[in-house]
Amino acid sequence: MISMKNVSKIYVPDKPPALSEVDCEIAQGEFVFIVGHSGSGKSTFIRLLLRELLPTSGQITVANQDVIHMKNAKIPFLRRNIGCVFQDFKLLPNKTSYENVAYALEVIGKSRHVIATQVPEVLRLVGLEEKTDSYPDELSGGEQQRVSIARAFVNRPPLLLADEPTGNLDPATSLGIMSLLNRINKTGTTVLVATHDREMVDSMRKRVIALENGKIIRDQSRGVYGYGD
Amino acid sequence: MAINPGYFIRETISSFRRNWVMSLVAVSIIYISLLLVGAFFLTSSVLNTIVSSFEAKVSVQVFVKDGAVPADVEALQANIQKIPNVKSIAYVTKDQALARFKERTKNSPQLVEQLRGNPLPASVEVALVDPRQVQTVVNAIVKDPLLAKVVKNPANPTQSDIRYGQNVVDNLFKATGVIRIFAAAFLILLLLVSLVLIGNTIRLAIFARRREIGIMRLVGASNWFIRTPFLLEGVLQSLVGSILAILTLLAAQAVIVPWLQDNLKFLPVTIAGATFAQLAGLLVLSGVLIGLLGSGTAVRRYLKV
Ligand SMILES: Nc1ncnc2c1ncn2[C@@H]1O[C@H](COP(=O)(O)OP(=O)(O)O)[C@@H](O)[C@H]1O
Ligand SMILES: [Mg+2]
Repeated sequence: MISMKNVSKIYVPDKPPALSEVDCEIAQGEFVFIVGHSGSGKSTFIRLLLRELLPTSGQITVANQDVIHMKNAKIPFLRRNIGCVFQDFKLLPNKTSYENVAYALEVIGKSRHVIATQVPEVLRLVGLEEKTDSYPDELSGGEQQRVSIARAFVNRPPLLLADEPTGNLDPATSLGIMSLLNRINKTGTTVLVATHDREMVDSMRKRVIALENGKIIRDQSRGVYGYGD
Repeated sequence: MAINPGYFIRETISSFRRNWVMSLVAVSIIYISLLLVGAFFLTSSVLNTIVSSFEAKVSVQVFVKDGAVPADVEALQANIQKIPNVKSIAYVTKDQALARFKERTKNSPQLVEQLRGNPLPASVEVALVDPRQVQTVVNAIVKDPLLAKVVKNPANPTQSDIRYGQNVVDNLFKATGVIRIFAAAFLILLLLVSLVLIGNTIRLAIFARRREIGIMRLVGASNWFIRTPFLLEGVLQSLVGSILAILTLLAAQAVIVPWLQDNLKFLPVTIAGATFAQLAGLLVLSGVLIGLLGSGTAVRRYLKV
């Protein structure tokens, strides 16, 4: 599903790279945590897969597609196969929760009828049925995050990327979201979660890729958060 | 892929409403600049009718000597009628000439009282299609052999027997030519400035929404899917602005033109319906075009993500 070969990303020349010579393979249907301290390169990892960024060097394929040499016009088709929960939510400010989620379906040409049945269902799943008509600036951070999650998987993409999806949520809601991600994974979707939520990682016992200063320092299946502190 | 065209219409209208401050700014700028362009267009069109009316006054008069053979006069008239660029001719009898003179001098009747008999000659008045070609027409009349039989001084007819205000004509056309060139140049300049201004306003409105465009890209929207509502919105803003400008001009014209007609009785102040239709077309078309171009180029820049 995902393959990275010798991938490095340097944002600012003469500064240490955000990612350095990263190699990794993620198979279809896997559930993977990317863990590491703030600034270790987790978001960069995710943004490279979505082709939001280009690496400075190395090769990346996602869903059998060469992400680096892809034409601008092809990029939307790649992204329709990837649901992404952004660390900063990236909700459209002039759209309600409902419309933000619906947008991901409008983009792929789904009919109003399909949208009208799927969107409320997904919003219920993330516990936002009360906030359907609220605009992002009327929502708390946690609520915006759940809209972002709902949008990411409303079209059932084969790959789900989530950057700190529980970063703004209370423990109970976090647990709800994690079990939701787990359920999504059970339906065959590959799920990749960047997080520094130790309890979450330790309780789930999934594959863990640990980053430090842009390098992979550990990659274990059924792993824990680690970092002995 | 079955895209619902209704989607784009709903999207455009709701975006127009939700970004109403920016929309209002854009519409106002479009309205004001097109209003300026339109006002100047109409002013120069009125100016043009006035200038043309002066030019149309340029005509040729051939004075007929007393006692000329009527058959010769008629034959000469027939010849003149055939000269290219002659619009129409009219024969003014001695009596008609005297009547006109009396009418012109009715404030000082002693002038007429002093007249013995009727010293005024009859004349042939020639109106022209293009007054600028007056000299050519005069030359053709002079060449006509019949002229010698009809006028008082056949040796040198242009001295007193043919009158067309040579010097006045040259100066008049120089002046009207300059007025027209300046008006056209200023109109083009005004139009260009407005288009740049409108384009920039629309670009600014889209600049304010560049993050949105980036988000749309990241959730998989294709470029045309993102662009279409922006284009429609730009066109909608331009349409609203230009239609408001046209309505304002219509209303202003309905008040100002009759007032001018009352106060400048000697000048022909009118705006032809065709001129107004032309202006409306120009405003709507240039508005829509700049709406499309402005939003199209502006959105493009933020589609790189
Ligand atoms: N747009 C950017 N420009 C310059 N440096 C950046 C940018 N984004 C991230 N970085 C730097 O790259 C490193 C990795 O950042 P990031 O991937 O966001 O880490 P994480 O998500 O693990 O906190 C950090 O040192 C960060 O300061
Ligand atoms: Mg991050």
